[in-house]
Amino acid sequence: MRMVNLRAPYSARRVALILAVILVLGFLLLPGQLQTVFQQIGGPFGWIISWPLQTVAGIHDRIGDTWGRYVALQGVEDENQHLKRELDLLKEQNGQLREAAVATERLSALLEFRKQVLPTSVAAQVIGRDTGNWYKTIILNKGASDGLQSDQGVITPAGVVGRVVKTTASTAVVLLVTDPNNAIAGLIQRTRDEGIVEGTTQGQARLKYIPLLSSARPGDHVVTSGLVGGFPRGIPIGTIIRIDKEEEALFQSAELSPEVDPNRIEEVLVILSSSIPGEGERLGVPKPKP
Amino acid sequence: MKGLIYFAVIVGLVPVQSVLLAHISLWGVKPDLGFVAVCLVGLLGGELDGLLVGLALGWAMSLFSAQDLISSAVLKGIVGFVAGLAGRQVVYLSPLVLVIGLLVVSCLIGLVSPFALKLSGQQDWWWTVSTVVLPQACLDAVIGGLIYWLMWSRLNIEQLMAESRM
Repeated sequence: MRMVNLRAPYSARRVALILAVILVLGFLLLPGQLQTVFQQIGGPFGWIISWPLQTVAGIHDRIGDTWGRYVALQGVEDENQHLKRELDLLKEQNGQLREAAVATERLSALLEFRKQVLPTSVAAQVIGRDTGNWYKTIILNKGASDGLQSDQGVITPAGVVGRVVKTTASTAVVLLVTDPNNAIAGLIQRTRDEGIVEGTTQGQARLKYIPLLSSARPGDHVVTSGLVGGFPRGIPIGTIIRIDKEEEALFQSAELSPEVDPNRIEEVLVILSSSIPGEGERLGVPKPKP
Repeated sequence: MKGLIYFAVIVGLVPVQSVLLAHISLWGVKPDLGFVAVCLVGLLGGELDGLLVGLALGWAMSLFSAQDLISSAVLKGIVGFVAGLAGRQVVYLSPLVLVIGLLVVSCLIGLVSPFALKLSGQQDWWWTVSTVVLPQACLDAVIGGLIYWLMWSRLNIEQLMAESRM
């Protein structure tokens, strides 16, 4: 088999070499500045890519629906063609109605939750997953033009999903609560002990820095503490399934089962930072004594 | 023409990688089509094409990931550049040699990535190698070899080469 030869001439090689050297030097000497420049250029480029991204996501959903229905129909007995056609039609209509009912119920719950708890949040759909294997993230169909920014919290009616780490004009990347690189301030609801919730490599979460004297036990619910990060207090994060107490350790930790299954998320709410009451607002401004 | 093809590859690969590959991952790991594409562009187009496509593709893919915007661009740029240099030294390249080459380079990039990305302490060396690096390298090598074999056996590469030189 012969090697393909689309090679550039010698001058092009010199250009490539110079470019490579400049880039490596820039990466070593000015990492922060380069990051900012790349992020700013990324806005419009990300907007361009978001079009095929959303198109592919749409086509993918439709193909998934069609494929699902086709596979489901494989097992149907074909004894009577006329009855089968009628049955298929009714089944299809029934499936569509059921799907519509489930979607309506889900979206109504999301809307109600949004009205009750978070008056200023943005609803978004999940359109993709991380392009690499190092992080557990989801991609949303809303971005900077909808008011989304880094560090904003992302939730569903069931609980915490993660936080926004990157935005383009029309998409946002959300680092999931189950990613080991994520950290959210948590609180054990029963004992009021605070800690930091981190993801684990097994796809679960772990509450760290629980005081040794805490009476936390399996079954306790962990919620957001509202102290730092983009979440208000009291959003469910997970349930304790095991307490780990090591000899001579200063703290204990607890393994959590997250309330939200990251693989089944379809719609989420992004909490806009301005809607989260600060510590002073929650406690009330102290009034001067007469 | 070549520029348009490269642009289409960059814009088209990101949705495929983030939407479709999530459903066909093996052992919880998906192949890095960007890496495969950059290697092939470098091998077939030379070091300048490899470098530029690597930089652009790495940057575009990191826009839709939690990783920083520079590491992936630089790593893919270097891969494209090295693939271009390698392509200059090789006269005959069989799919098997390409598969082995992709396996080795993907492993090397996988071992460097955790340091460039500054991952959590939980994601230690053993976890990195056994959970991400080796499975991903196997997938990259198989897919790269398959694409190369398909290109070679189904398309008239000589004619495409001649057109791209014009």
